[in-house]
Amino acid sequence: MSLKIKIGKIGALDMLKFSKMPDVRERAIAAAPANPLPKAYASNAKAELYHPKWQTVVIDEIRPNGSDAKTFVLKSESGKALAPFRAGQYISLGVKIGKTYTTRSYSLCGSPEWAYQGVYNITVKLEDDGFVSPYIHDHWQVGQKLTISSPEGHLYYEPIRDCKKVLALAGGSGITPFMGMAYAIRDGFEDFDLTIIFGSRTEEGIVYRKELDEVAAVCSKVHVVHVLSDEQKDGFEHGFISAELIEKYSAGEAVTIFMCGPQAMYEFLDREIEKLCYDFKYVRRELFGAIKDPWNQEGYPEEIRGKSFQVTVRQSGQVYEIPASADEPLLVAFERAGLKAPSRCRSGECGWCRSRLLKGEVFIPEKTDGRRFSDVEYGYIHPCASFPASDLEVEVPAEYLNLE
Amino acid sequence: MQKYDAIVVGAGNGGLSSACRLAKAGKKVLLIEQHNLPGGVASSFRRGRFEFETALHELAAIGKPGSRGEVYELINVDYGIPINWVPVPDLFRSIHINDEGKIIRDFTMPHGRQAFADKMELYAPGNREAMANFYKLFDESKAALTYISSANGSPSPKVLRKKYPNFLKVGSYAPMDVLTALKFTDAAKKIMGTYWSYMAVDLYRLSSIFYLMMVGDLIDGGAYITEHTSHQLTTGLLEAFRRFGGESWFNVRAEEILFRDDRACGVRTTQGTVYADHIIWNGNPNMAFANMVPKEVIPERELKLANARKFSARMFVVYVGLNKTAEELGIKDYNIFISPGLDTADEYKRVGKMEKIRSTAALCYNIANPNIGPLGTCQMSFTMAYSKDVWGDVELRDYVNLKNEKAREILELYERATGASIIPYIEEIAVATPWTFCRYTSVPEGGVYGYEAAEWDNCMARMMSIDRDYKIKGLKFTGAAGPRGDGYSEALLTGSLIGKMVLGEMAKEGK
Repeated sequence: MSLKIKIGKIGALDMLKFSKMPDVRERAIAAAPANPLPKAYASNAKAELYHPKWQTVVIDEIRPNGSDAKTFVLKSESGKALAPFRAGQYISLGVKIGKTYTTRSYSLCGSPEWAYQGVYNITVKLEDDGFVSPYIHDHWQVGQKLTISSPEGHLYYEPIRDCKKVLALAGGSGITPFMGMAYAIRDGFEDFDLTIIFGSRTEEGIVYRKELDEVAAVCSKVHVVHVLSDEQKDGFEHGFISAELIEKYSAGEAVTIFMCGPQAMYEFLDREIEKLCYDFKYVRRELFGAIKDPWNQEGYPEEIRGKSFQVTVRQSGQVYEIPASADEPLLVAFERAGLKAPSRCRSGECGWCRSRLLKGEVFIPEKTDGRRFSDVEYGYIHPCASFPASDLEVEVPAEYLNLE
Repeated sequence: MQKYDAIVVGAGNGGLSSACRLAKAGKKVLLIEQHNLPGGVASSFRRGRFEFETALHELAAIGKPGSRGEVYELINVDYGIPINWVPVPDLFRSIHINDEGKIIRDFTMPHGRQAFADKMELYAPGNREAMANFYKLFDESKAALTYISSANGSPSPKVLRKKYPNFLKVGSYAPMDVLTALKFTDAAKKIMGTYWSYMAVDLYRLSSIFYLMMVGDLIDGGAYITEHTSHQLTTGLLEAFRRFGGESWFNVRAEEILFRDDRACGVRTTQGTVYADHIIWNGNPNMAFANMVPKEVIPERELKLANARKFSARMFVVYVGLNKTAEELGIKDYNIFISPGLDTADEYKRVGKMEKIRSTAALCYNIANPNIGPLGTCQMSFTMAYSKDVWGDVELRDYVNLKNEKAREILELYERATGASIIPYIEEIAVATPWTFCRYTSVPEGGVYGYEAAEWDNCMARMMSIDRDYKIKGLKFTGAAGPRGDGYSEALLTGSLIGKMVLGEMAKEGK
């Protein structure tokens, strides 16, 4: 039986109606106004304020913090608000030192409220053998302009996911994201119970001591426990942050653990937390940072240690030949050669530096391999977490930021 | 000066497909993308142990060995991308739950004509004949569309009238008119109408042909996803493009489309200026006209067209990674459409406001693809589309709390409708709002479906007007804002179609 559909009132004219559709469409178009088009729409404008690619700030104040850190108060150049952030997030800033263009990420350690007033705070610890922090400590001055990213990172409180009680394990300048969280709770941006277990070497070296005490004094949801490794004093825990301390301060309640500190602390705490059998859900840590000892990582090809390789870099139609050490992430080789390569987290996680490996081998420690499945399949790498293991050819995306 | 045969701006599904089409034909093509990943919304992201699919729910037109669909032919055969498509077990489950939390209807529909019709009879008796006629109409319409595209845009009216009379009759009507004409009962219409949310336009204003094609293709060929998220598909497309000799620049933003007299001749980018006689824009034409093109080259008709159109489907998506398996959580379905089950015109109106979330398309990827994530876990997403830019009114200060409030609403809606408890098991959560889509893809209002394919601007009318639209020399548009409308299949096929049109122009110009 063949199909004979009857539809509509006009019956036989339906076919005509079909063939007239373009004319109907033309009439609708002709009837519309020819107004100039909006350059942006409401959601797009808000998204741009919330997630600007880069922001320009001016150093407004520099003050010492603890024995070897400085806090920089950054103000928006325009005087307007800076992008809002979730307490715990970081910014990545571009630094040009000699011919080297590089980036570093620092946690935002002020209150989220201050961002609306156009102010961020970051704290930079002096690493004696570092490249960027000595430069910052020596050269940055009040009035200087900086280019910074929008707030990034995922170490922040998620009310749907996390327990009402959070234990924040901080080592040294790893206090910075938790300082931001403490302010955020005080100022009504976050609502959870925060106990910061804060490891320092000595009482004198404690970063943000005064500010932490001040917040804890006015905010019943913020508690600070100081742990000193090199001193034994009343009112302080002694030693390292351990499974026992975590148990003591969780006091039988369900807790979410946040961690921020040096790599050695993460490695120590991973073993401590393992003893307590926490599920992944309850343990989060800040960016690991670039691995400094690839030769101690599982699967390291021992024969490459100390070697130097040649790298052909393709970037937006240009080709560069550069040397690269097997002992440093490939990203560092780009930077040493004066190339502008994108990067943000420098820990293998955010994928900002994602590049295509065309030829050769790299060593990628599993701990900082944050690649997508198909990136592994199709030969993409994150140069910030990949160590050259042979001569290489890579295709690197552009970085369109211009630093003067 | 760097000169190419064509420059494609934007590496979304449409841009990638256009770039592949041209490069495969031996043209020198440059693809530029502002982000550092291909795909636009067709991508993935990592959180903790999980890699989340950003956008793909299911693709039609893959088909089975022996009866492959158009998309399989394009991706796997034509472009030679070895994607292993994973079939989705059932077509869908749909739960209608009212505002008081009472479940009104709950139905699960399989693919396959017989199975679908049998299940329909179980839920909505008395529709055997309507179903049979639906299949006939689908077959006739599919054949008609094949004929139209083979006739290079000028089909013979005589042939159409003789061979495809029903197609012509229903062609200008909306899906609801056709379901009524086919004598589906009201209960059956609720089932047949389930996919309207994939089009984000109610059943009174869509093209019946495009709707029937989607439903029919899904019933016939089933639905598919990729094994490793959309990132596998779009990285595969980029790989094919490179294999065809194409050049791609990432993290490079187009700042202006350059014209010589009235012809597009190049693109000024953040990495310098590049030239080509053909520019293909994988983005919204309104945005290109407003920000990239000199006013003088925009014909008045195109400006009016831009004024007349509405953007479509401003997405809100909650992604969760759970620390239990689907089985442990009692989750059995890949996709569930949850809604009050109202008339689609009423539901469309409701999503034009910042109301409590009452509808969602909820997915559990592990049901189709048990190997998607770590052992002992499962991952889900919950999507809804706003029909207006309601998120544009949100203040920056309220954003985080609102995002979390809406995420909780959508998760609790799922828990109420299915009885499964999921919130306590969330190990990772990410929430994408229309702002998120603005951030990563620059689509206006976060509307990822391009223009609303409704009424006078339905896809059938667009396809029939393809030679009238965007008559700007050297500039073409591809992607979801294109003639075939939104969706992965459509954007991929549009990409190829636009590529072919440019090849045709190049041939005429003697290149």
